[in-house]
Amino acid sequence: MGLKGLKTKDKHIKNLAKIVGDRSILHHKEDLLAYDCDGFTIHKYLPKAVVFPKDTLEVSRLVSYCSDNRLPFLARGAGTGLSGGAIPVNGEVVISLVKMKKLLSVDYENKRAVVEPGFVNLKLTNSISDKGYYYAPDPSSQYCCTIGGNVAENAGGAHCLKYGVTTNHILGLEVVLPNGEIIEIGNNGIPDSPGYDLLGLITGSEGTLGIVTKITVRILKNPEAKQTVLAYFDDVSDGSHAVSDIISAGIVPAALEMMDKTAIEGVESAAFPVGHPRDIKALLLIEVDGIAAGIDEQISQILDVCKNRNVREVKVAQDEAERARWWANRKTGFGAMGAISPDYLVQDGVIPRSRLPEVLNRINQISEESGLRIANIFHAGDGNLHPLVLFDARIPGQTELALSAGSACLQACADVGGTITGEHGVGIEKREEMRFVFTDEEIQAQTDIREVFNPENLLNAGKLFPSPGRCAEVKKERKEAAL
Amino acid sequence: MLETVSLSDLTSILSQEQIMIEEENNHPHPLGNGGYITVFPETEEEIQGILQYAGDHGKKITIQGGGTKRGFGGQTEKADILLSLSKYKGIVEHTVGNMTITVKAGTTFQELQTYLAAHRQRVSLDPAWPEYATIGGIINSNESGPKRLGYGSSRDVVIGLRVVYPEGSIIRLGGKVVKNVAGYDMNKLFIGSMGTLAVMSEVILKLRPLAKYESLMLLSFPDGNLEAVRLFATTLLESMMEPVTLELLTPALSEKLTGQRVYTLAMSFEDVESAVHYQEEFVKSISPAQVQLDILPQEKAQAFWDHFYILKPNGALLSTDTKTAATVKIGVTNLDVLHVLKESTLLQDSHNLVVQGHGGLGHGLCQVTLKGASDDILSAIAYLRQFVEQFNGYLIVTHLPYVLRQQVSVWGNPPSYFYLLEGIKAKVDPKRILNDKRFVGGI
Repeated sequence: MGLKGLKTKDKHIKNLAKIVGDRSILHHKEDLLAYDCDGFTIHKYLPKAVVFPKDTLEVSRLVSYCSDNRLPFLARGAGTGLSGGAIPVNGEVVISLVKMKKLLSVDYENKRAVVEPGFVNLKLTNSISDKGYYYAPDPSSQYCCTIGGNVAENAGGAHCLKYGVTTNHILGLEVVLPNGEIIEIGNNGIPDSPGYDLLGLITGSEGTLGIVTKITVRILKNPEAKQTVLAYFDDVSDGSHAVSDIISAGIVPAALEMMDKTAIEGVESAAFPVGHPRDIKALLLIEVDGIAAGIDEQISQILDVCKNRNVREVKVAQDEAERARWWANRKTGFGAMGAISPDYLVQDGVIPRSRLPEVLNRINQISEESGLRIANIFHAGDGNLHPLVLFDARIPGQTELALSAGSACLQACADVGGTITGEHGVGIEKREEMRFVFTDEEIQAQTDIREVFNPENLLNAGKLFPSPGRCAEVKKERKEAAL
Repeated sequence: MLETVSLSDLTSILSQEQIMIEEENNHPHPLGNGGYITVFPETEEEIQGILQYAGDHGKKITIQGGGTKRGFGGQTEKADILLSLSKYKGIVEHTVGNMTITVKAGTTFQELQTYLAAHRQRVSLDPAWPEYATIGGIINSNESGPKRLGYGSSRDVVIGLRVVYPEGSIIRLGGKVVKNVAGYDMNKLFIGSMGTLAVMSEVILKLRPLAKYESLMLLSFPDGNLEAVRLFATTLLESMMEPVTLELLTPALSEKLTGQRVYTLAMSFEDVESAVHYQEEFVKSISPAQVQLDILPQEKAQAFWDHFYILKPNGALLSTDTKTAATVKIGVTNLDVLHVLKESTLLQDSHNLVVQGHGGLGHGLCQVTLKGASDDILSAIAYLRQFVEQFNGYLIVTHLPYVLRQQVSVWGNPPSYFYLLEGIKAKVDPKRILNDKRFVGGI
């Protein structure tokens, strides 16, 4: 692998190459450039090398080597992460898991499948759909993101309102610990293994506690029926209230998505337009699934709610093709912003659903104050907002302005009792914003746990937690108090 | 016992009414896990004060909610302090439209559900003894019931926790929103931790709407043919139906609940009424000819479950039965539940025990209650554990008198990565103040 072959005097590169083979390592600068960031492109750092192990044993040997030689290292999947979790900020050895991409087994009787971490999310559903099964977590990047990456980020998606996020679907993991040891947790899907729930802890730990090398996931039977509704509103707050009304009516939709005017402008200018009116202020995309006999009643309730909230137009998808078009339009929403802006920054705050109208107002204000347009595409049903700050990086100062507008949106979420990330992770992007929701002591409670797994902090250091300045002071004070 | 815990130290934290000193001549509690002094904090500050006192004076604390799980784990008959959360209760915050609630840990499950029912909402857990069990105890012991098949367990329901760390600091984990990946998912560490890490103060839960309608179908298999049960269950699970429970009851348990001593499958359906009836029809269409099928409509279904939840031994009620009682929880792969329940039933004759058990064919967890002579119970537990290990399963003992707990391994062998669990305990509770030796491997 690599254009020039293995020509190096660096002993570490040579030794790493011995583990994976000369063709499975990149170390020339021009080859490394593709790995200097992930889906968060604002900060870039070159890795020391990129290695492509083919199995767990190779991962373990690579990790042991890095650990013994005090080389910082991190794991990477498809690199679609939006918070910079796979960016080698310390010049890490990047352990790419894309070669470990097998579907190892499917057990329909017990509704579970075992995959390698590099297996692409959507491929799982595609591999089992002929038997009427699917894998529920569906991040918008599911056509290319890997399940290993989903585990690291505890990825969500449009349908987690009813079905939960990645952590609710992970039954077992094989993990290479930062010392190279291989452990199996979760007992292949037998629930409630005695002991602290490491399965739950490692899922969503952003690759800072270990490297996942095998994953047992829950697969679900397709629902008997599903129906999808599209509703157009002339007023954002009518749309937001409709969201609350649907939930209050005791309906648990499979998905409940919202887009505002700017977002609609974006998706209608991009690759998958579906003819949304350009002058509406908000649209809702609502999906209900389950037993066929119960769906019509819920759909008619949803239509009533929308009418009571002054909907301009509301329609039910007539067939699977129409439903698929609506979803393609929604799921490519982030990228669609490229059609109306040279650059964009996506944020990921979560709020209690009842605070939706006021937070949307506040985001509007932030847009006006910064002079940057902000589009909103979000999972309204679970209060997970995705403000997209539109900017032009070529204009000096706009990147910084966009970052600070994004941060202000997160502050607005935290101010109403929400949080700074619902599914994209903290990475390097939101490290400092962790202070919006956690005290120094609470952050330290988390880094204490990291120390148990990753005592040398060689694995994906500098992620997830704010710079330790103030934490260290707290520690020092505690020590002094103890003396 | 003034030499053990100084009463005057405690009275600076609590009022006299909140402190109960164990009388010297009292019989020890048969389930252990008691304390020389019992304290009943009513505020978080009081909990902090008690923990700081214990930390400063090298005291050990046992934590208790409603006491239903007093016989679950633990190698201590009496700790220095028994910290009861039974007076630390109530709803802290509930915004109906958000479908989340913040509640104090000592609130009983029944109080919580009754409060929520007025808003047509509920917590989608179904623990035993809801009038006694507290939400904090349910989460700390990771208790779940048959409806786990449809709604998951504590780890799917808890979105935030407010805990008091052993040195007295308040740590918030998770938050008030249903999706949250800010930092580690620390909630998971505390769910099922048996109170060995911190004292749970407040719990934030994701709610579900009350079912619009529910029914229960009881399918009894008079000839005891478990192959027929398997065939039926796989057909149902392969279908697009959405049973909320698929719980197999052993003949002895079925007799208690239905009057018939036969293997019985209890299937709940919860949805809008038309969807429930549709699923009932489907079940009828795939039922084998020789089974008896009863459909219990909403109220009768609820009454069945209400009865079901109070059949297990309850650590909060001193039993008058002269026989010893034990309950074990067994985890295996879904359909292996059939083997476990069959083998458990055989213990009736081989070990001269009364055996009532049930297990979920869709989730793989069984609960088996054994009653009889102590020696027979110990030998049955050892036998069953060996049996389920053949299926890569595990057995833990969730109820057993204190004396017998010293003769049996409650948790079985610790996992290969046990040092990580020990490491977590050492970071969070280095002085081992809380529920010492109550958990796996003596944590």
